[in-house]
Amino acid sequence: MVKKMDKLTIAMPKGRIFEEAYELLVQAGFDLPEELDDSRKLIVEAPNEGFRFILAKPMDVPVYVEHGVADIGIAGKDVLLEQTRDIHELLDLNISRCYIATAGLPDTKIDIMTPRIATKYPEVASQFFRSRGEQVEIIELNGSIELAPMIGLAERIVDIVSTGKTLKENGLVEYDKIVDITSRLIANPVSFRLKQQRIEEIVERLRK
Amino acid sequence: MLIQMFEKPLGMRDDFPSIVKRKSKLSAAGIQIMEQYGYEMLQTPSLEYYETIGKISAIADNQLFKLLDNQGQTLVLRPDMTSPIARVAASKLLKEKMPVRLGYYSNVFRAQLREGGRPAEFEQMGVELIGDESLYADAEVILLATEILRKLRVESGRIVIGHTQLLQQVLRGYGLEEAVIEKLRSEMVAKNKVAYENLIESLAIRPDAKKALQKMMNATRLEEWKDWIDETDEIQLSLYEDMFKLKAILDRNGLEEFVTYDLSFTSHMTYYTGMVFEIYGEGSGFPLGNGGRYDGLMKQFGLHVGATGFGLRVDRLLEAMPAETEQLQQALILFNEENEEKAQAEAKKMRESGLTVTLQFAPAVKAQNEFSSLFSKVIRLDGEENG
Repeated sequence: MVKKMDKLTIAMPKGRIFEEAYELLVQAGFDLPEELDDSRKLIVEAPNEGFRFILAKPMDVPVYVEHGVADIGIAGKDVLLEQTRDIHELLDLNISRCYIATAGLPDTKIDIMTPRIATKYPEVASQFFRSRGEQVEIIELNGSIELAPMIGLAERIVDIVSTGKTLKENGLVEYDKIVDITSRLIANPVSFRLKQQRIEEIVERLRK
Repeated sequence: MLIQMFEKPLGMRDDFPSIVKRKSKLSAAGIQIMEQYGYEMLQTPSLEYYETIGKISAIADNQLFKLLDNQGQTLVLRPDMTSPIARVAASKLLKEKMPVRLGYYSNVFRAQLREGGRPAEFEQMGVELIGDESLYADAEVILLATEILRKLRVESGRIVIGHTQLLQQVLRGYGLEEAVIEKLRSEMVAKNKVAYENLIESLAIRPDAKKALQKMMNATRLEEWKDWIDETDEIQLSLYEDMFKLKAILDRNGLEEFVTYDLSFTSHMTYYTGMVFEIYGEGSGFPLGNGGRYDGLMKQFGLHVGATGFGLRVDRLLEAMPAETEQLQQALILFNEENEEKAQAEAKKMRESGLTVTLQFAPAVKAQNEFSSLFSKVIRLDGEENG
């Protein structure tokens, strides 16, 4: 059998997490291009390491990895909890730390008859309320979730909280903390087995 | 021209002629090898009772296609082949001959809940070796599966082997509660190393045990399993020794470089009771197939016999197989009314010599150039020049 240096495709989340994740790889000693000159590029090569980065929306990283078009990827635990995909979760990178919580207007209670929850995370939200024995109606939104209680669409929201500043500025308070979130290194099950040595080596270097 | 769209149910696919052709080659090659190993091909009905096959098969309830028959009984479209074959073996075949070797090439149905990219109906081929509890039966099915891959020229394949019973014994050997073992096992099934390591960290056990368990999801060689085996435990020791015997057989057959031994590799299917394995290949992002020993399933049919086998996914094998390079010779004869008899004779002669010939009445073809370009050879018997 010939051992060839396979190119490794890494799915990276665009936006806020990207910088942090990229910095982590640089700190682990990987020889990556200094600057990503053109932020509109969707595919970036790192020839010295044999890496190819694909830049995807954070919610889509596990999709690329599950289908095997990316070998490994960096995804937030929030996305992994929401989607339950068939992937290996290899390492907690301890970056982009935040948590998912419920929030709403101060001193309000959930409507008993038709409790309505607005969220970007319908799966996480419905599991949380079910675990407390409450059946709720989930309203799925794609952004600016804080609006929902302010204009009467829902009594509670389930959303990511990192500093709590956004909640405060909009007059909302946090009610229950649901789960802590960090970014994780994930791998496609087939890639993990075919390129196990290489992937484990990356895990070890990032662990330090 | 506006093309009207007629849609198919979610997850259902059409196979176009080129795929059908590749599939028929694949099935012929696979069936030939299974038969050469002494397996007899079996076909079972597409519909089964929900009460038996639906419940016994390891496929989640919400993935079953259910319907009612005219008596009001709930039926399912078969979601796998292992349980129907166990049903047949339990009710009939085993009385005649033991051990029994059965092979299949069949479509199975699993409803898709989320998005596209996954078929709801797909073909599987595989074997079941029922009535043999020895490791030689386990070795035989692994060798047979790899033989099929070799024949299909699937490259850089890899097999991962675990052992569900040994894993269970090892975890019990650490004195863990059943509920904790179940949790650890489910993190292994979910391939969630982060949650597994956190769970181990939270356990109140000896530091050296903790350290050993932390590494359990990292093993790739059978020798490494030694770190977790309790050598004073006879069951563990004998299962571990059997794995070495299995490995020796696989190594002797040239598989040494292709097998990963991972004790933490296990299945959500609870009926597996011994060695379990999964096969991967370059070109498909999903496993090509899996198998293992499932004595537990036979018990559900009231039989206390051993059984082992595997299933390969035809759709994924197609992705992992090298693309067809040889262009098949496809001849076209275009004829007109005048030359019809001559064209028939020519086609007959060519077909007898083994060629594929399409006979087409020329005036019925509107775009003749485009149509002709689909063939490797065009013979014109319609009064026009060849060329």
